[in-house]
Amino acid sequence: MAELRAELVELLPRLRRFARVLARDAHDADDLVQTAIERALAHAGQLRADAPLAGWMFGILRNAWIDEQRARGRRGRVFAAAELGEQVADPAHGAPLETLAVQDAVARLPQEQRLAVALVLVEGLSYKEAAHIMEVPIGTLTSRLARAREALQAMLGERDGA
Amino acid sequence: MTFSDETLNAYVDGELDAATHAALEAAMTTDPQLAPRIARQRALRAQVRAAFAPVLTEPVPERLLASVRGAPGRAGNVVAFQARPRPRWSWPQWGAMAASLIVGVLLGPVLLRPSAPQQAPLETSGGRVLASGALAGALSQQLASSQPPGAPVAIGVSFRARSGGYCRTFLLREAQPLAGLACRAGPAWQVVALAQSELPGTGSGYRQAGSVLPPAVSRTLDELILGEPLDAAGESAARAAGWKP
Repeated sequence: MAELRAELVELLPRLRRFARVLARDAHDADDLVQTAIERALAHAGQLRADAPLAGWMFGILRNAWIDEQRARGRRGRVFAAAELGEQVADPAHGAPLETLAVQDAVARLPQEQRLAVALVLVEGLSYKEAAHIMEVPIGTLTSRLARAREALQAMLGERDGA
Repeated sequence: MTFSDETLNAYVDGELDAATHAALEAAMTTDPQLAPRIARQRALRAQVRAAFAPVLTEPVPERLLASVRGAPGRAGNVVAFQARPRPRWSWPQWGAMAASLIVGVLLGPVLLRPSAPQQAPLETSGGRVLASGALAGALSQQLASSQPPGAPVAIGVSFRARSGGYCRTFLLREAQPLAGLACRAGPAWQVVALAQSELPGTGSGYRQAGSVLPPAVSRTLDELILGEPLDAAGESAARAAGWKP
């Protein structure tokens, strides 16, 4: 357990980055990381010795995110306006415009495409690892990735051309 | 030979099998359309990665480190994390917090205490709520490790705040017990969170006092704390230094 905790501490920056791609808002993203850590520690017995910790944690975090999205759906759209406000106010002050534009574009992708982008483009996982975490066949992953790339090119190209 | 977007993506992602990889690289030398298509995908991948790279070098919030450690009294005592409303303030807005975090407490009777105004535990000054009387005395002098049972004020956790100063949680044994959090502000203690306590204050150690903290107060604590609460020696040393950071 002590070893697991030490490895988790090392993994925290990546978990936070992964969560930030999914949730964008820094507080929401850290909430997801915290939920994932709590779940992981509660189910540490399920981690196979030969499985990479990062993949296991990304899977737990992804599930926590999906749960959170569903809960939000149930709560209705009450928070939508506030969240939009945060998105304007929250991301790191003084971040370069291009960074904000890319984060914006990623945040507009449908959930499943955003997940594919987070795992493959940002985290640099293999298709096999990413598909496993997303619980879909590799073909499904690659087509989501292709659609995500098209959408990002369109959104970012639009902006560059404007 | 034509290549689909997915094939080009796989090339950029390092996922192409050896044969297709070779065929694609051969085709690049003859097909002038291929190289720019690949360059665009490469640039996009780099751009997306770069947009999130700064997160890696941000300091990791203490609450996440604490949850990895499974710090006692924090993961366990608080209700399911998702259910908690998120604290939205940041450190510089601290002064403005005082009013909003005083939850469900009628300050009038506590502040005015018409029968004995000099003994009121709170006073207001410049829009801030400050500890006064017995509360101010206990915050400055009383140690959690050795406090008289039944004292009018019980001290809970003492800790270093992210801003550098010291803060302490307390329980005011009024007819309606109040739990709160005060931080050292110059010579005074500013009360930054205060709420009705559900349980009468019988605890003496910080565990007991910590466990009766109302959610508004424990959230504030979570937000402000840097590292772990002070132990008895740390508390004693901080008092000896006059609670100066």
